[in-house]
Amino acid sequence: MAAFDYAPAIVLLPFLSFLVSLAGGKYLPKGGAFGGIAATVGSLLLSAWVFLTVSAGNVYNETLYTWVAGAGEEAVSLTFGLLLDPLAAMMLLIVSLVSLLVHVFSLGYMNDEGETGLPRYYAGLGLFTASMLGFVVADNLLMAFMFFELVGLCSYLLIGFWFRQEGPPSAAKKAFLVTRFGDYFFLVGVVAVFATFGTAKFAGEGAFPVLAEEALNGAAEVTTFGFAPETWFTIVGLLILGGVIGKSAQFPLHTWLPDAMEGPTPVSALIHAATMVAAGVYLVARMYGFYALSPTALGIIALVGGFTALVAATMGVVKREIKQVLAYSTISQYGYMMLGLGAGGYVAATFHLLTHAFFKALLFLGAGAVIIAMHHDEDMWNMGGLKDRMPVTYYTFLSGSLALAGIVPFAGFWSKDEVLYEALVHGLGGSPLLLAGYAMGLVAVFFTGFYTFRMVFLTFHGEPRTDIARDPHGVRWNVKGPLVVLGILAATIGFVNMVPVQDLTGIHLEYLHDWLAHGEISALTAEHYGELLHDYAHYTSADVASYVAGAVSLALALAGAGAAHVLYNVPDPDEHTEKLGAIKTLWYNNYYQDEYQVWLAQSVVLPLARLADKFDQGVVDGVVNGVSSVSLFAGSRIRRLQTGVVTNYAVLLTLGLTALLVVFGLMGGWFA
Amino acid sequence: MVPVQWYLLLAAAVFCIGLFGILTRQNALLFLMSVELMLNAANINLVAFSAYWGNVTGQTFSLFTMALAAAEVAVGIGIILVLYRNFDDVDVTLAKEMRW
Repeated sequence: MAAFDYAPAIVLLPFLSFLVSLAGGKYLPKGGAFGGIAATVGSLLLSAWVFLTVSAGNVYNETLYTWVAGAGEEAVSLTFGLLLDPLAAMMLLIVSLVSLLVHVFSLGYMNDEGETGLPRYYAGLGLFTASMLGFVVADNLLMAFMFFELVGLCSYLLIGFWFRQEGPPSAAKKAFLVTRFGDYFFLVGVVAVFATFGTAKFAGEGAFPVLAEEALNGAAEVTTFGFAPETWFTIVGLLILGGVIGKSAQFPLHTWLPDAMEGPTPVSALIHAATMVAAGVYLVARMYGFYALSPTALGIIALVGGFTALVAATMGVVKREIKQVLAYSTISQYGYMMLGLGAGGYVAATFHLLTHAFFKALLFLGAGAVIIAMHHDEDMWNMGGLKDRMPVTYYTFLSGSLALAGIVPFAGFWSKDEVLYEALVHGLGGSPLLLAGYAMGLVAVFFTGFYTFRMVFLTFHGEPRTDIARDPHGVRWNVKGPLVVLGILAATIGFVNMVPVQDLTGIHLEYLHDWLAHGEISALTAEHYGELLHDYAHYTSADVASYVAGAVSLALALAGAGAAHVLYNVPDPDEHTEKLGAIKTLWYNNYYQDEYQVWLAQSVVLPLARLADKFDQGVVDGVVNGVSSVSLFAGSRIRRLQTGVVTNYAVLLTLGLTALLVVFGLMGGWFA
Repeated sequence: MVPVQWYLLLAAAVFCIGLFGILTRQNALLFLMSVELMLNAANINLVAFSAYWGNVTGQTFSLFTMALAAAEVAVGIGIILVLYRNFDDVDVTLAKEMRW
């Protein structure tokens, strides 16, 4: 397949643009922006070609480069390779499209606003895109881990782009450290996978999810270190999940994401829509054949997801800054995806990943346009009435908001409802744990509708509350263009998978299900995952009509949006959330999660670290120092033999010769 | 003809005088002379045995030894000059620091 021969270029093109921007960005027009745009256009076209090839029924799964070749029977080889199946092909399209639009938008947000350091910025974007694309096409867990880390590094570089101010560097460090904390477990998980299966390949002959399945039904033997295979696979799965929770900003490692808003807004769009945060969820989807074997791991994923969705949605209700609201909505939406994955809704979660990528990129870019207009003031209470002054931004932003809130027929409705539907049917079908996740997700739907429209009404409706809002700064084509593309996608992308409508009318409308259900590698298909979920996780579906579940959550979303309409869609809104009193304070301070984590670090981890340091300095170093001081002492005594006086050496020589002669004499019997 | 034992005794005596000089003296020049004595004791042995066996190999070797001794004296005198330049003396016990 010719498309597959060029597939490595999808990753290499943005990497090339990174090198070009880094080395020669200051000599190029627009700080190297055009190089980045050209590279992402190339990636997008190649991704589309790969997508078409994959849709013709081809799958590519090859090792391209072995950088550590194992020798012997039990040896492990470390490789780079490509795995291009329907899931990867879809994700490639999402990432390269969003990245392209972010590059174009950056022309308006960064270049037109006269920012300095643009080569560094575009180099960061290029490397970010390249690492995410590399992560998407990775064919084994170790390669995925390496690109996962690169993504984390790039987010650090870009969040801290304005390093001369106080906030961004600190936010960048926080993002890096918090995600690193999760990645630490991921790394242990990768090693555990190698130790258990001897391979980390995602698919193909002897891939680790396949081996795990065979180990459970007795067809293969793997090293499980004395645990029952089920228990051990759960442990490994949870270790890898650590990285996912960090990157996808799930509770309790979500705290880095709202602070990451310190970075430039296009970067926020890239981080929260298509890259970084999506990486975690994508990883679970990538190795879903492994997670589907462990009901415990699935239950934990579902609960963490549902809980995160609810908690983050409540915090979004009281925020004052437009990007903060969006940040919490991101956490909340990724919570839904995790809920979907944990509830056995592989297609549903992937679907939500797809729709969310577009509508969240749209919302962030729309917020970016608003921030340009407001001269970089992000406080929604200083806005108001922007509807008439920036109509393109308003209507596209509205499209994204309707999608986020889950109002029919916008994209978010279809995907979010499918996630909730999966949680409901599997919950009723004998896994009551999932019902808790479903309940939390359902409550979060109300809050989502409320905070989304509170944001829209405060920003765009009512009377302008400041002079800047009365006369906002205009935006150009390079801002409006990406907004329009994404606005249309946010309104329409949900049509690829309209399960409730299909159930009502009988017309075949679930194209995404078809896309993911079949494939040349049968172990990677949604069909196979369904069988695994049924056989190993014992998920069974209750008979609930999908349109009923959809109607329930639509009603809740409308109720939330309606409440926001009543409270905030007035010419001069009040801060109604003040009436919540203590709860508002709690929400506004993010449940004191930051304070709690700082306390944890200072009062628990620091003393422990001090203790470990004492042990290291005292016991470990003490032993080493003791051994060396014995040598030193012995040396200082023995060296006195060497006086430097020639006569003494001569004496020793003579005595030695004499002694030798005497010994020879005794042995040879001269004196007998 | 003098028996070979006498030559050996003479050589042993000369060797012991040389050894005694090395063990007791501190003057570098006396060291050099003592070493010279020990070498010549060996030469006496070589020549004595050569005469005893009627074989010139030993005498040839003694010539080598003399050449060696001459070279050794050249080097030794050089060392002693450096010693004198550094310590204003030729006492070997002064130069006992093994490092700079």
